[in-house]
Amino acid sequence: MSDARPGEAEDAPHPIIDCDVHPYVPEGIRSVFPYMTEAWRQRFIRKRAAVGTEARSLRFLHPNGTVGREDARPPNGGAAGSDPGFLCAHLLDAHGIDIAVLNNLQIGAICTALGSTDESIVLASAFNDFFLQEWMPRDRRLKFAMSVPSQDPEASAAEIRRIGARPEIAAIALPSLNILLGNRYWWPIYRAAQDMGLPILLHVTGPDSIYHGAPNSAGGQPDTYVERYVTIGQPAESCLNSIVFSGTLEKFTALKFLFVEYGFAWVVPLLWRMDRAWRELRHEVPWVRKPPTDYVRDRMAFATQPIDEPADPRDLDRMIAMLGTDLLCFSTDYPHWDNDMPGATLRSLPAADRRKVFSENARRMLRLS
Amino acid sequence: MTGMEEELVPGGALADVPVGRFLMVLVHGRKVGLTRLPGGELRAVRDRCPHKGAEICRGIIGGTWPPSAPGELAFGRDGEVLVCPWHGFEYDLVTGEEMYQPRPTRLLTLPVEVRDGQVLIRAPRPRLRARQDQGS
Repeated sequence: MSDARPGEAEDAPHPIIDCDVHPYVPEGIRSVFPYMTEAWRQRFIRKRAAVGTEARSLRFLHPNGTVGREDARPPNGGAAGSDPGFLCAHLLDAHGIDIAVLNNLQIGAICTALGSTDESIVLASAFNDFFLQEWMPRDRRLKFAMSVPSQDPEASAAEIRRIGARPEIAAIALPSLNILLGNRYWWPIYRAAQDMGLPILLHVTGPDSIYHGAPNSAGGQPDTYVERYVTIGQPAESCLNSIVFSGTLEKFTALKFLFVEYGFAWVVPLLWRMDRAWRELRHEVPWVRKPPTDYVRDRMAFATQPIDEPADPRDLDRMIAMLGTDLLCFSTDYPHWDNDMPGATLRSLPAADRRKVFSENARRMLRLS
Repeated sequence: MTGMEEELVPGGALADVPVGRFLMVLVHGRKVGLTRLPGGELRAVRDRCPHKGAEICRGIIGGTWPPSAPGELAFGRDGEVLVCPWHGFEYDLVTGEEMYQPRPTRLLTLPVEVRDGQVLIRAPRPRLRARQDQGS
């Protein structure tokens, strides 16, 4: 049942916070029918939209048939990540994980592109209520990244104010659009997030580089899953750049951003270029009062998965030394195929740095009551 | 300065030194820009950016947009800011320091004085010439 290796938990005696776990509703939209009005329920039934939330086109289907780990399927045969009891046993118990932040990508995909604006507003609330009522009471180790209907920033802010004070909620999963995150379009969401003391959690949602409205990787359409996989994180670079140079972090002085599943090896060269450009062209954006790196160090962090694997592993150590371990938050991406389990992650880090990466940084970034 | 021998090099008539741009003179074969700040103070700037060696005296003398709130643009220090024509580093002509930086570089400036309407630039005596002087 567990894929833990013997002794793995003993190898990781420090607390572990997993910033990226993906729960699934078992029957798609049908699962959240109890959390919407009859009128909306009938609309989705009439559209025969009750089950499918598949976001990917043929070319971007996983070449092995699923992004979910086959061994993560619950005993009842449902999709990986669809059974809270099994997830807690298979991931949390087996790997000694103390806190897991749940981020549902089905509603993320709907909010990014699959649903209309009105549909995504209704479904975001329904999905949020589903997880708050049907998952969170199951285990105190579970925390929730609530989703917002990002096609409507005012409705998103209202959703944050509706449930954002709930102690189970640790972050706001913001489904990205093809609008850079420094754009003032996002201000209502940022204002509400800041008021609630919640960080913005950024993560691809599925329609990326496929649908109109979703963020695209640069240069043209990728041809295969592997091409898309490698470049799907490019919008994170553009958004980090945009957040800093737009002055968003000066406008919202307590707002924090956690970049999840974008990896982190790209951050250092980006910051080098941003710092140099700021030194040369600062007066174009005078609201940026200090080097961009300083903002990132104060207000951003990066989840570790998927960790790149250079031919010489010491190159990764050097990259982490350049970035600094204060900016990294451990994440598994369970139950997805490219997950990183704690016992096999960053084992060469000194103990003090491991504590930072595996729990202390996440405690600083997330709202964990 | 550092115990190095100095001498006063003529820089021309004060009346010829402009505001808002440089009058270029040679000091021991090296180009130096002379300018007056809006308040009348004289500045002598070596024509070499401390960043990557650009002829900085060909840059803009103007103002800048100091740190401000998002979306609010302010303008100030007009005539007191020298912008390198290559990479745009901004230097405060009052202090010589690169502006708004946590680890600023400094312009290469030379002290100046005025006697009888003539500008005199205080510059280190070239080493080779100093040796010749000692031998004579």
